[in-house]
Amino acid sequence: MTGSQPAEAERYVLRLFVTGATNRSQRAIENLRKICEENLAGRYDLEVIDVYQNPDAIRELQVVATPTLVKVLPEPLRRIIGDLSDRERVLAGLNLLPVGGGSESAP
Amino acid sequence: MTAADDSGGAIGRENLAALEERLREATETLDAIRNGEVDALVVDGPAGQVVYALENADRPYRVLVESMKEGAVTLSGDGMILYCNEHFAELVEREARQIVGASLFDFVRQRPELERMLASGDAGGSAELLLLAANGDDIPVNVSVVELEIEDGAGRVFCGIITDLSHNYARAREIADANARLADEIAERARAEESLAIALDAADMGSWDLILTTGEMRRSASHDAIFGRKVPAEIWTLDTTIDHFTPEDRDAVRAAFDAAAVRGRVEFERRIVREGDGALRWVFVKGRTFYGERGAERVAGVVADVTERRLIDEQLRQAQKMEAIGQLTGGIAHDFNNLLMIIGGSLEAMSRGASFDDRTQKFLGAAKSGVARGAKLNQQLLAFARRQDMQVEVVSINDLLPTFETLLDRAMGEAVVVRVEPGVGVWRCKTDPNQLETAILNLAINARDAMGAGGTLTLTTTNVAVTEETATRWETNPGDYVEVCLTDTGSGMDAELIARAFEPFFTTKEIGRGTGLGLSQVYGFAKQSGGFVAIESIVGRGSSVSIYLPRSDAPLAAPRATSAIPLAEPSNGVVLLVEDDAEVRAASAAMLEALGYTVRQAANGLEALASLAADSNVALVFSDVIMASGMSGIELRRRIKAEYPRLPVLLTSGYTAHLIPDVDGATPVLHKPYTLDALGEAIKQAICSRPEAAATPV
Repeated sequence: MTGSQPAEAERYVLRLFVTGATNRSQRAIENLRKICEENLAGRYDLEVIDVYQNPDAIRELQVVATPTLVKVLPEPLRRIIGDLSDRERVLAGLNLLPVGGGSESAP
Repeated sequence: MTAADDSGGAIGRENLAALEERLREATETLDAIRNGEVDALVVDGPAGQVVYALENADRPYRVLVESMKEGAVTLSGDGMILYCNEHFAELVEREARQIVGASLFDFVRQRPELERMLASGDAGGSAELLLLAANGDDIPVNVSVVELEIEDGAGRVFCGIITDLSHNYARAREIADANARLADEIAERARAEESLAIALDAADMGSWDLILTTGEMRRSASHDAIFGRKVPAEIWTLDTTIDHFTPEDRDAVRAAFDAAAVRGRVEFERRIVREGDGALRWVFVKGRTFYGERGAERVAGVVADVTERRLIDEQLRQAQKMEAIGQLTGGIAHDFNNLLMIIGGSLEAMSRGASFDDRTQKFLGAAKSGVARGAKLNQQLLAFARRQDMQVEVVSINDLLPTFETLLDRAMGEAVVVRVEPGVGVWRCKTDPNQLETAILNLAINARDAMGAGGTLTLTTTNVAVTEETATRWETNPGDYVEVCLTDTGSGMDAELIARAFEPFFTTKEIGRGTGLGLSQVYGFAKQSGGFVAIESIVGRGSSVSIYLPRSDAPLAAPRATSAIPLAEPSNGVVLLVEDDAEVRAASAAMLEALGYTVRQAANGLEALASLAADSNVALVFSDVIMASGMSGIELRRRIKAEYPRLPVLLTSGYTAHLIPDVDGATPVLHKPYTLDALGEAIKQAICSRPEAAATPV
């Protein structure tokens, strides 16, 4: 409740690390796009980074496997691993309440 | 614990939360890795971070490489194939397992090229090479090679992409084939145009193509040649064409071309003054108009020099005129002969058995000689009309030449030198030697008159093969002829004179000097012999007249047997006279009676047959050939032969003697007008030579 207030104003900086054109990478990209458009429309910057092409980018963010989503901003830095198909987990990781409210998360 | 918890509470709680978060992340990461939810792991290695992709992460690349429509290989530094995709295997028509481990050099024809590419290092290279397929085919391909960056220490590795160019080559071949076909078509068209040019040349025709907007004309070389230009002109316009025509024809030519746009064609025959020799020539121009979007654009066609053709046409017209005059002359001569018959017959009958005083005798003589002259003139008319009785036989003209020479010497007189030059191996020919003699004499007299102050007359004989063209010109048949040519050195004739020379009664001599029938006789005689006459003459230099007589391969005629018919038959008996002209009949009857015969008369064939039916005791039937109505003398003779085989028939005619079919092969025809003596002789011969005369005397 309180967390949602500052989140409204802040801009999200997200990095998604993938490995080439695998199915999982593709799914991760699609899932993230959808979530961002629905919850962060207009206030996020997303970079998709292929670790083959840009291996140096991994070092500073301590990514150990792909696909991994890194929430660079707002702090704290948070990593979410996998194809991002678990919507609740992603929203939680991004400090976002699900649009549908808490009632849906109960079952 | 509590204190410690409390003292370190704020910090500891914060740290704890962070640690909890870290732990959760780590747990999630481990779970994800354990559950196979990741594609790759990032591991810190000695040379920095290394990405270890799990097997399935490479799959899309493998699929990409396997399914691409290019051959792909990886090669070791010495060209050994470490990997090849399916398409490469298809290209060389082998299984991939037979390929990996083999050298790419084994599959490439141009080793040096490939060596150069592999040697060039990471810059790589690209070249078109021939790939060797299992069945021995050469496959054109493009090979591009790039060196791959692999870990340090490992050997060099190259990546090669092989693109099949067969399709491109096939396309290129198709295009080349299409080009070749096009070239063939162009060549074919050029050949067609060439054939057309050859055809036009063969027909002595030129072609032209007038561009109406500019007035420019494209022409063939023969077009310009017809107008007298041996070297084709640089520029030729419609005006150039028009200027070549005679001034009086130019307006008509221009009008014809002007009208071509509307009429769609142009066609005329006009005279040009030929360049070079300035000759007046007739040309025939014919063309067609070609229309485009803006109306008439071009007129194209042909041109031909038709002077020769017109000349031949002119000669044909002349020949037809001569034929017509001949018909007319023949008709007149026939009637004239009947008149002479009446006069002559009456005179003969009158003078027979009666005595007159000297004065009357003198007038009678003059009248008879007038009849004789008229008869001679008539003979010449008939000769021209080709209605003379021809005594045709096979002769060697060279054998006749001595006789002719004597004749010519006598006729020419002192001032003219006569030369006779017989040709070598002159063929025999079929003609009437007596008429040939008359013809030569007629020509000689003309020659003498043309050489007033004397000169040379040359008679030559030559063998001539008459071509189709010459034959057409003279309305005769092509083939072998003997030419009898009489050349003088006299005043000569111009073309106009030559054209009329053969016409009867046409003469250049003063009145009284010639009848104008001499050359007509020559003409008629030659035609009747199946030949023709040609005149060549140059004014002031002389003339040369050639009689062409057809060659004959038949043996020479035996000398004619002199008639040895005994004339012992008495001049009496009954003669049945058949004649449709009452006056002629009266004159003839008087003559027969004067000869001592009893005359029965009939006005036509039917009357004659009726008369014979009533009483067939007749010594001879004497009949005219041509009778105005009913049956002819020939038909009558045929009927009498059928009914009274031994009854002799004597025919007489003033006309068409030679046209009588020679039914019994020996029937003589008595020519009108005849004298009393000639009639008596003919009757006696007819009676004596009648069939079976000796066996059953009448």
